[in-house]
Amino acid sequence: MSKLLEKMSTAILEGEAEKMPNLVKKALAEGTSAKEVLENGLLVGMQEVGVRFRAGDMFVPEVLMSAEAMQAAMVVLRPELAASGHKQIGKVVLGTVKGDLHDIGKNLVGMMCEGAGFEVVDIGFNVEPENFIEAIKNHQPEVIGMSAMLTTTMRAMGHTIKAIEEAGLRDRVKIMVGGAPVDAEFAKRIGADGYGSNAPAGAELAQKFVGAA
Amino acid sequence: MQVRKNNYTVNMTPTMQVLTENQIEAIYYAALAVLSETGVRVYDKEGWDLAHQGGAVVEDVQADSALVKMPSWMVDKARATLPQRIRVIGTPDGDGKRKYNMDLYKNTMYFGTGSDTPFTIDPYTQVRRRATYKDVRNLAKLAEALPNVDFFMSLGITQDTAVGTYDRWQYLAMLEATNKPINITAVDIEGLKDQLEMAYIRLGGKEEWKKAPCFSLYNEPVSPLSHSEEVIQKLLFCADNDIPIVYTPCPLAGATAPATLAGLMVQALTESLFGIVLSQLRKPGCQVIIGGLMSAMDMQTAVYPYGSPEMALLSAGYTEITKWMRVPEYETAGCSDAKCFDEQACMEAAINISTAAMIGGNMIHDIGYIEQGLCSSPHMLVASDEIISRTKRILRGIPVNADTQALDVLDQVGPGGHFLGHDHTYNRFKTENWRSALTDRQVYADWETSGCKDYQQRVQERMVEILEADAAPLLEPKMYQELRRICELADARHKDEELDVQMFV
Repeated sequence: MSKLLEKMSTAILEGEAEKMPNLVKKALAEGTSAKEVLENGLLVGMQEVGVRFRAGDMFVPEVLMSAEAMQAAMVVLRPELAASGHKQIGKVVLGTVKGDLHDIGKNLVGMMCEGAGFEVVDIGFNVEPENFIEAIKNHQPEVIGMSAMLTTTMRAMGHTIKAIEEAGLRDRVKIMVGGAPVDAEFAKRIGADGYGSNAPAGAELAQKFVGAA
Repeated sequence: MQVRKNNYTVNMTPTMQVLTENQIEAIYYAALAVLSETGVRVYDKEGWDLAHQGGAVVEDVQADSALVKMPSWMVDKARATLPQRIRVIGTPDGDGKRKYNMDLYKNTMYFGTGSDTPFTIDPYTQVRRRATYKDVRNLAKLAEALPNVDFFMSLGITQDTAVGTYDRWQYLAMLEATNKPINITAVDIEGLKDQLEMAYIRLGGKEEWKKAPCFSLYNEPVSPLSHSEEVIQKLLFCADNDIPIVYTPCPLAGATAPATLAGLMVQALTESLFGIVLSQLRKPGCQVIIGGLMSAMDMQTAVYPYGSPEMALLSAGYTEITKWMRVPEYETAGCSDAKCFDEQACMEAAINISTAAMIGGNMIHDIGYIEQGLCSSPHMLVASDEIISRTKRILRGIPVNADTQALDVLDQVGPGGHFLGHDHTYNRFKTENWRSALTDRQVYADWETSGCKDYQQRVQERMVEILEADAAPLLEPKMYQELRRICELADARHKDEELDVQMFV
C-alpha cells in the first residue's frame, strides 16, 4: 500500500474530514485509480473503525467523525468512480416510518452503510409508505432500511412492507428493520428480510444482502 | 435552664441537594432564553396557531411544522394559572370509596411503575418474551398488593390485542387488577377518548371525574425541542377534558441533547415550558406535571441507560428545579439496564430509588423496568417495593428530643444493664426499626435449614404468593362487560385497517 493510501486510512480512523479532499486529490494526481483509493485507502480505514468499535476501543462520536471523513473523501472521489465505471457495492434507501420523528438511529445506520461502501439515500423521518415506494422506483436501491423508535409506530413498518408488496416491488429489494422496540422475531413476523440490533449490525446486514460480506 | 432552639425542629427528613438556588435560576432563565430565541419546532398547525394567538413568534412555516418562539412573559403568564397542586385519586373499592389518593405538590412523594414495555419476564419460567394482556393484569395485581407502589402504569404492552386499539385493552387489564391511580398511554386521540369514557363508567359519571381524575396521561415531546402533532393534539384534548398531563421529554445527553448535563436540563426545561404555556393558553388551570426521564447516551452501545448514575443525578437535579417552580413533577427511579433480575438490577434500582427519595420527587415512575425500559420484571417490581420501604425508613430520620434521647431510661438501666426487657424498648422497637420479610438476617445455620434461599428465590416466592392469592374481582361482571364493550367497539371501528395484522404475539 502506498504511503498516501496509508495516510488516508489513518485520517479516516482519526476522523480528520478536512484532510480528506486533498489526500484523495493527491492520490488521484499520482495516478492511483479511484477504485484503489476507495478499496485500499478509505475502506481500509472504515473497516478498522468497525473492528475497533466492536472491540470497545472506539465510541459512537468517534465513529461519526470517521464517517464524516469518509463522506468528505467521497465527495471528491464519487465523480471519478462514476467516470471510471466503478460501481459502489450497492444503494440503500433509509427512512424512519410514518408517525415517528426519531432519526438518530437511522442516521447512524446511514453513516455506517456509507462507510461500508454503499450509496445511501436518506428519505428522512415520518415517511409515508407511498414515499418508500416512490424511493424504490426512483432510486432502484438493493436495500431498504426502516427505523422506528416507538412501540406505537413500529407497526407502520408492517404497513409499509405490505404497501411495498401491493405495489409489486417486494422482490426488487431486501428490507431491513431496526429501532429500540424491534427484534428479530418481529422483523420476521412483518415480513422483513432482516433485523439489525445496532448501527454496525445494520450496515453488515446490508452488505450481506448485496453479497459483499 | 433554658436551652436555645429546644422547640425548633430542623432536618426532620434527611435530604440531599444537587443544585444551589442560583444554579436553578441560571438553568431556568437559560431555558427562557432558548424558548424565546432558539424556539421549538411544532408539528401541529392548531398548536402553532394557538401559540401565535397567545403572543408567540411563528417562523419558518413548512407544510408540516413551524418554528415557535415564545417571549418570556408568556411563561410568566402561564405559570400564574398553572396548578401547583394536582390530585389523582384511584378507582373505587367495593364500598364505593376511592382510597388511593395521589396528592401532588412540592413536598409529597409517590412511587409507581413504568409503561409500555414490549417485553416482560415470565413470572414462572423467568424467560423474556412479548408482554400480553394477562401479564399487564398480573403486574397490576402485584402493584395493588405492594404497599409502596402508589400508582400504576401498564408494565407491558398487551401485544395479544389489536395493534391499533391496544391502549383500551391495556387500561381494561389494569382496571381489572388495581384501584390505584393510573398514568395511561394512548395510541392516539381516539384511544384517549375511549379510555376517558371507560374512566367515566368506572367512576360512575363525569362528576366524579371532576372531583378528582383517576388517571393522568403520559405525553412525550421529542427531543431536541420538537413537539409532534400527536403530542400537541393529546395536550389540547387533555386541557379541554380536565385530564392531568404528564409532559415529559426524554432527552439523551450527547445524542438528543447537549453532552453536558446542565445543557440537557436547560433543553428539557425548555421542552416542558412550551407544554406548560400551550396548555394554559388552551385552558388556564390545565393540570400539567413535568418531568421526567433524562440520561446520557452510552457511547459504546448507543442505548438509553436507565440505570446510570447520570440518570439518577439528572432526575434529582430536575426535581429541584420543579420544586423551585412549584410545579408537580414526574421523576424516574427503580429501573435498570440489566437484562434480568440480577445484582446489577438491584444495585441500580437501590441507588436511583434512594437518590429520588432523598430529593423527593412527586411522581416517581419506572419501578419494574429492566433492559433500558424495554422489558418489565415482576421480580424487580417486588424488590423495588422493598427498596422504597427501606429508603422511607431512612427518610424518617432520627428525631432528637428529650423523649427520644431517653435519659430517664438510660438512668434506670444504668451501666452494665440491658434494655431488652425495658418497656421503652417494648413500646418502640416496632416503629423504630425497619423490617422486611424479604431481607435475610438469619445466622448461617438457620439460613441453611430454611433452604439456603438467596434474594432472587425469596423475591420469586413472594411474587408467586401475591399472584396466586385469592382476590375478589375489582370489577363487577356488569361493569367489566360495559368497559369491555368500549374496547370491542374500538376494535370494530378499526377492523378494516389492521386487526388482521397480529404483528406481535
